[in-house]
Amino acid sequence: MFTDAPNFDVRDYLRLEMMPHFLCPGCGHGIALRALLWALHDLAIDKDKLAIVSGIGCAGRLSAYIDANTFHTTHGRPLAFATGLALARPDLHVVVISGDGDCLAIGGNHLIHACRRNLKLTCLMLNNEIYGMTGGQVSPTTAETRLTTTTPLGNNEPSFDACALASAAGAGFVGREVTRHVPKLKELMKAGLEHPGFAFIEVLTDCTEVYGRKNELGSSPEMIMRQKSDMRPSAYRNTVDTPFHPTSLPTGILMQNDRPEYGAAYRRAAALAAAKGAKK
Amino acid sequence: MSGSKLASVEAGEASAAPAPIARKTPFNVLIVGVGGQGVIMVSKVLAALAQWRGFEVKQSEVHGMAKRGGSVFSHVRFGERVWSPTIAKGEADVLIALEWAEGLRWLPYLKPATGIFICDTKRIVPPFACLNRKPGAPMRYSRETAEQVANYVAEGYAIDATTMAEELGNERAANVVLLGALSTALDFPIADWESTVSEFVPKKTIAVNLEAFRLGRTWIAEARSPAPATGTPPLLPLAEVPFTPRLEINAAWCKSCDICVKMCPERCLRLNDDRIAELANPEKCTGCRLCEWLCPDFAIRVHLEAQGKAAEEAAR
Ligand SMILES: Cc1ncc(C[n+]2csc(CCOP(=O)(O)OP(=O)(O)O)c2C)c(N)n1
Ligand code: SF4
Ligand code: SF4
Ligand code: SF4
Ligand SMILES: [Mg+2]
Repeated sequence: MFTDAPNFDVRDYLRLEMMPHFLCPGCGHGIALRALLWALHDLAIDKDKLAIVSGIGCAGRLSAYIDANTFHTTHGRPLAFATGLALARPDLHVVVISGDGDCLAIGGNHLIHACRRNLKLTCLMLNNEIYGMTGGQVSPTTAETRLTTTTPLGNNEPSFDACALASAAGAGFVGREVTRHVPKLKELMKAGLEHPGFAFIEVLTDCTEVYGRKNELGSSPEMIMRQKSDMRPSAYRNTVDTPFHPTSLPTGILMQNDRPEYGAAYRRAAALAAAKGAKK
Repeated sequence: MSGSKLASVEAGEASAAPAPIARKTPFNVLIVGVGGQGVIMVSKVLAALAQWRGFEVKQSEVHGMAKRGGSVFSHVRFGERVWSPTIAKGEADVLIALEWAEGLRWLPYLKPATGIFICDTKRIVPPFACLNRKPGAPMRYSRETAEQVANYVAEGYAIDATTMAEELGNERAANVVLLGALSTALDFPIADWESTVSEFVPKKTIAVNLEAFRLGRTWIAEARSPAPATGTPPLLPLAEVPFTPRLEINAAWCKSCDICVKMCPERCLRLNDDRIAELANPEKCTGCRLCEWLCPDFAIRVHLEAQGKAAEEAAR
């Protein structure tokens, strides 16, 4: 229980001059960030060999706090930037931090094609079921009946099971965890970071100030405590044809396969093209 | 129990099963312990032997806890005719326990006037006996001494079978030491006991197990001659607490979210008048780090200071 924890001081991985961060009190994104930094620490990944690419949103903001190479891109596009980076620099660990709106709404197409290519990347989707940053609009993972600024009578659209989507689209690694279980979340992230193909990890986090307040889900600790019960129908229910059990919240590594990774094929083609160019 | 297996018990001797000893009312043996100790093996040997001796045998057991360190028991009943597979409270002729507290737990099943209690002094402390999560904290494990228990049973033996087996070079043979002890309560020929034991232990360990069996048997014989043997199991020494936790709370980063306060398993944190987290009950803190992990604002760092080292540094 106390193994490797004592050596890990999260402050060694933060841009201290940026702290305290801008997230609201109790926001689960902060816990997810700790788990990521802890995983990177455990795997002894060199900061200079680490590239964090994020989109826009409260989740996207996290890259600004990490003491590594960080790239705060545009809304919905972090996977596109990250794909280019990972192809050009296979020596880097490329980690994408995205939100549910960022990754599934405006960035949904990038996600399915990133899964399809199975390029070595780690994509964290911090799912708080809401557009937190812009004040609480409905997102593709907002559960039915929930109140948002754009669904004042309660959401009546079915929501995505993002893990089912990612695995159907071909991701080599799919996992899910809640922020309440920090060591488990860290271990899942480590497994994803070590996976040789595309790793998609859904982190169920709490937007305490907007989603929680609007839906009267209680205080920050209350929201954390109910993480595995009624709060996340989007992750349990058969909203799309999910291969994962809908009766209890499935967490941990949900799917892992050894489909060919795309980067190698890309580099072979690039070498071939370069050789042809030289002949001319 | 399969008949074929039994036939092979004394295959070399080509002898027929001996004539049954008359036992109109069934003889009841309750074998208890903790998952992984070999309770089921003891009951299988006994059941096989009783069947070999011509009795009808019924055995029922719970073994689902075998891998989990949970409570395991097995009822063995044999006699001319046996109907129920389970032993009722107050009906066991022999209670044989591979673990001290498990033995005490089942005492009410022993026949009050004649029951024989044979209990290993081995202690396996279950996790829920921990009073708190602090390393080295006292355990709520049974504190009864063997002398106290002796007053409750007609005949009782507290036997350190685990150490005896360890000294033979195989800790796992402790259950066979107890089988040896059990054998003294039954009038089965010693040769039958030994051949059955040999049948049920791994081939490579037959010698050490037979030694263990004889050791248990002679231990009881010796203990019986002067007075019922008692040996007080040593009280668990309290492990030394290896460190003292110290919390570093960064007031400038704390956003008063209350997560650490409500999620701390020991409830030793609170928000102060400025609504900043503070450690209100440092003596209760176990250093579990949950507050550090769950603080979304990185405002808590738990330092586990090796005991003595902190004092050393202060002196410098
Ligand atoms: C192209 C574009 N469209 C819209 C926006 C406005 N916008 C900023 S963040 C955001 C949604 C963020 O939601 P999510 O990805 O779930 O992140 P969260 O804030 O919940 O962590 C939107 C719509 C934008 N910045 N750029
Ligand atoms: S709006 Fe929601 S997601 Fe954004 S920082 Fe606040 S609590 Fe977190
Ligand atoms: S380390 Fe934190 S959570 Fe754990 S007991 Fe101490 S104060 Fe409570
Ligand atoms: S969890 Fe962190 S931010 Fe929240 S009250 Fe505790 S120390 Fe403050
Ligand atoms: Mg969101």
